[in-house]
Amino acid sequence: MLIWFLPVFLIFLMIGLPVFFGLLAAPGILLFLSDLNAGAPDPTKQLTVLYRNVYNGMDSFPLMAIPFFMLAGELMNKGGITTRLVEFSQALMGHLRGGLAHVNILSSILFAGLSGSAVADTSALGSMLIPAMEKQGYTRKFAAAITAASSVIGPIIPPSGIMIIYAYVMGESVAALFLAGIVPGILVGVGLMLVVRLMADKYDLPKAERIVKRGAEMSKTEAFTSFAVLRLALGGLLMWIVTSLTGLEATGATAWLTLLVCIVAVDLGLRQMRKAVSDDFRLVCKKAVLPLMTPVIIMGGILAGVFTPTEAAAIAVFYALIIGFLVLRTLTFRELGDVLSRAAMTSAVVLLLVGAAMAFKTVVSLSYAPQILADLILSLSENPYILLFLINVLLFIVGMFLDAGPAIIILGPILGPIFTDLGVDSIHFAIIMSVNLTVGLATPPMGLVLFVASSVSGERVETIAKAILPFLAVEILVIFLITYIPAISMTIPRLTGFVQ
Amino acid sequence: MVALLKGLLKPFEVWNDLILPVGRAIAIVLVALMVVAILVQVFFRYVLDNPLPWPDEAARFCMLWMTGLIAPMAYRRGGFVAIDTLVQALPARVAATISFVLLLIAAFVLGFAVKIGYGEITGFNARFATASLYVPTAVDFSEWMKVPRWWMSASLFVGVILLFIVNVELIIRTLITILGGGDQLKSLAPADDVVAE
Repeated sequence: MLIWFLPVFLIFLMIGLPVFFGLLAAPGILLFLSDLNAGAPDPTKQLTVLYRNVYNGMDSFPLMAIPFFMLAGELMNKGGITTRLVEFSQALMGHLRGGLAHVNILSSILFAGLSGSAVADTSALGSMLIPAMEKQGYTRKFAAAITAASSVIGPIIPPSGIMIIYAYVMGESVAALFLAGIVPGILVGVGLMLVVRLMADKYDLPKAERIVKRGAEMSKTEAFTSFAVLRLALGGLLMWIVTSLTGLEATGATAWLTLLVCIVAVDLGLRQMRKAVSDDFRLVCKKAVLPLMTPVIIMGGILAGVFTPTEAAAIAVFYALIIGFLVLRTLTFRELGDVLSRAAMTSAVVLLLVGAAMAFKTVVSLSYAPQILADLILSLSENPYILLFLINVLLFIVGMFLDAGPAIIILGPILGPIFTDLGVDSIHFAIIMSVNLTVGLATPPMGLVLFVASSVSGERVETIAKAILPFLAVEILVIFLITYIPAISMTIPRLTGFVQ
Repeated sequence: MVALLKGLLKPFEVWNDLILPVGRAIAIVLVALMVVAILVQVFFRYVLDNPLPWPDEAARFCMLWMTGLIAPMAYRRGGFVAIDTLVQALPARVAATISFVLLLIAAFVLGFAVKIGYGEITGFNARFATASLYVPTAVDFSEWMKVPRWWMSASLFVGVILLFIVNVELIIRTLITILGGGDQLKSLAPADDVVAE
């Protein structure tokens, strides 16, 4: 009887039962009926197991990274970081044809390093860039579509909420998943830029000014902090490269001396570069230094083995607070309450879902669902390439109706083991699922970011859904590239030793 | 009938209007405490090379209570993820009838959860203590006791009780809508960005 829990669950979901209740009700009812049929003295006894699994599923240190990363992203956004990232992107790419569309995509890539949320990306960048693009002569639907399409990069490039969830539910390494997401995320961005380039010719899309505000200034505190932090970060990077290439073992005083030499070398290099650019350009770049240090701290800390992802997330919150309150002085205590509240509410819903997913996963393993599904899938074909194609189609359809987080929670435990048995690396499969379902956030009829883009731009969802099609086409192409060329996602985790 | 239901709705509405913001306020403090606990852990482990035993468990304690106390407000605001394409496409009364059935299913889930949750915090497991959390039992901090494990697991129990009360309010509201009194209901606050992505 237990095998029926999957169809019952799907029916519950289709008629609109919240996923959290569906994940518990379907297995709960069938466990109860199974025990009743078997004549168990207390048919509700097994429901206690479900309850305990929900609680134990939520009681997890790695999951704490979710509220922390949400908090860090919100703090950065409130602290005026978005404006700085957009101005920086514009200084780099604004002069190209279709300049602001490129700026939109590059800003999404940079924003993705601070926040793991496509919704935050769409609402933060959209409210700024859509009006600016309209002013430059872009249609509103185009501006909203490129904002929505590029925002899906947010959960692909680390940090990523859905990857933390997947890693936890499936017992994978968060760091490995984070690293595996970097190239696919950039690839989506590059693909979108190519589409914009083609459209720029066809629709004569305009160029933009590289510098928005000429003669802008910077506080002394920020100037000093950016100066020091940039040299420290680049000096550290140079030291890592030098020690890796030369095999030099720098410890104690030697390490400090090497770092000092590297910092001096970086400083000299930056002074040379300074001559080649205008003061305004330099200032825009300098203003982006502090925000862009966030992904460096997160990934640097995790890669160097200094922090766990949860600790890195807490450090990111601390860094965002310091920058927002002390350096940029753009945050207020009143805003802090709102930010904490939003982070707590968003994470609470996710944590309950993850807890319910752990209970659901137990029943999945009790039933014969994975074996039956595996047999069904293998009866279609035994060729992993064809099966991966079919699974991508399935995921894409699911993504059209369900958000990426819940979809990963539901499908991960069912599909993951099947494809791992077929020889697909578990990290590779996680990335296929994550990218595919994330792209689903921008697909009609239920694409969440389409609705956010609609509310930010004032354009109808249906109109944006049509305008987004060329961008979706390239994103689908990227999904298949990631699927059939594992090196795209697996190279960085392998090179860094997070995947064997 | 609508008037009767509105009378029945009132106490639940008042309760949720009063209690859920308190839950949210406590949850906000708990998020801040979580960050502080982990930062203390990082500082003691990496800077002082003296790892502390308690921050990990304290932060999880805060996270569980944060979830239990703020999730009901998210539920009340329609923030629990669901596929509502079908319901939205139907006429208002039919949609309300389906919503009513869904809320009854949710009530069953939450009802069982409350029953089991009570057993969990009063039963065998409740006798154990947490691994590293202590609270003072004397004003001068001379005596300490280990925090009982049920203090932690009560977070989910309290959470499902609050969710159940929200669910009752939503059921009565849906009944009023089915009976044609939907326009007399006050709107609940819109959902925040209650999504994982």
